[in-house]
Amino acid sequence: MTDRHRVASVEELAEEGSRVISEVAGQEVAVFRVKGELHALANYCVHQAGPLCEGPLTGRISAEEDGSLRYDETESVVRCPWHGWRFDVETGDSLQSDRWTTPTYDVEVEDGEVYVSR
Amino acid sequence: MSRADTGGSVDTLDDLGRVIDTDAHVTEHLGDVLPYVEDRYSGVREIIDRADHPLYDVYTINHPTPPSIHSEFGDIYGQDAAPTRRRDAKLEEMAEFGIDRGILDPTLNLALNTVDNPTYAVALANAYNSWLLDSFLDGQERLVGNLLVAPQRPDLAAEEIDRLADEEAFVGIQIPSTGLVPPAGHRRYDPIYEAAAEHGLPIAFHGAASATFHNFASMRRWNETYAEDHALVHPYTQMWNLTTMLYRGTFERFPDLDVVFQESGIAWVPFLKWRLDDHYMELSDDLPLLTRLPSEYVDESVYFTTQPLGLTAASPKHMAQAIEMTGPGNVMYASDLPHADFDPPEELFDRIAPAFDGETVRGMMGGTAAGLYGL
Repeated sequence: MTDRHRVASVEELAEEGSRVISEVAGQEVAVFRVKGELHALANYCVHQAGPLCEGPLTGRISAEEDGSLRYDETESVVRCPWHGWRFDVETGDSLQSDRWTTPTYDVEVEDGEVYVSR
Repeated sequence: MSRADTGGSVDTLDDLGRVIDTDAHVTEHLGDVLPYVEDRYSGVREIIDRADHPLYDVYTINHPTPPSIHSEFGDIYGQDAAPTRRRDAKLEEMAEFGIDRGILDPTLNLALNTVDNPTYAVALANAYNSWLLDSFLDGQERLVGNLLVAPQRPDLAAEEIDRLADEEAFVGIQIPSTGLVPPAGHRRYDPIYEAAAEHGLPIAFHGAASATFHNFASMRRWNETYAEDHALVHPYTQMWNLTTMLYRGTFERFPDLDVVFQESGIAWVPFLKWRLDDHYMELSDDLPLLTRLPSEYVDESVYFTTQPLGLTAASPKHMAQAIEMTGPGNVMYASDLPHADFDPPEELFDRIAPAFDGETVRGMMGGTAAGLYGL
């Protein structure tokens, strides 16, 4: 059974890259605005229980067979401040391995307020 | 039906069916190999023939102190008296220890990376292959071999693979791994990996204390004994080479490539897998070529030969646990005979028989090698 919880006003999450962390039914949850959309993740690193969502938002580095090493500046990755594990804010998935995913939650906006379902 | 046939436990070595030695050395004498140097390298043959000290002035082998009993078996210097210069002696040795089939590796030429002149290195590697084929492999079933290549010239190494890969008796590629600089993950070796993958031959990496200086110069300079040198150089060598292959994406570029790390025991493997997985997750900006945990590439593509297990008789269950952590399906028995730190089959069997089911035990003693090498 999930309930809807107000976590912020839309104004607080208006800017790209903004975030609000609040407690939702006993779990710290972060809401980010990334690529214009709102996404909610547990503020919990599945590695060693660090405060994942207090880490920086970053872009991502990729390498190709031709030897290129590119940086995608779109800041849609959150990097845990403890050990640097990286997760895609849009999916909660680890960038490095399909073994790990951060819990994500549905986000809704209604009458200028942001709600997380948990 | 014996318990072994049911896939249950295996009680004795006799229940196994077959024992395959994945690190079976010949002790080639330079004088045996030289006549097999190809005519296009006859100048190399002539110069080596004239050399007063070819082990120091062609190969550039050195040790902190003399290698003691390790040299009595022709380990490093390929003396005249070396016992397995000849096929019959090798087969007798295998019979004595209950080994059914052997995958042959060199001894002197594990120091191939100490040959500073790349043309000499190629000439010697190719000659060794022709000698091995002629003297050991042709006309019998129990011996197969790894094809030796000179990493100094990856282009010519790939040519050598193409020359001999169709010989059924060559079942793998041998890259001497101590003194392999730059290390195995460097892209300069891609032609070798490409040729190996194309021919479906696994690559076997084998270190040697004879080449320590060429890999770990500071360590070699300040090691005061051969014992220190030998104890560390084998695992250090393999850890560096495996780390660079994993982190630089060799297995992403060559997903069909299988590799074998020899002569370093087993217990370092779980340590390194844990460590590399941890660093991959924490320092991922350094490693964008990888798409999964380093240990997953290891589980899929990397094999380890068991000798020397170390002095584990006092705690056999811990050795079994180390093998469990390494991955029993990636572990293959090796004797290292005739070298003086060899493990007879019992050294592995006695550790694993109480701990694993019959199928797993048979795999480690020979079944996995049979599958990997197509035996």
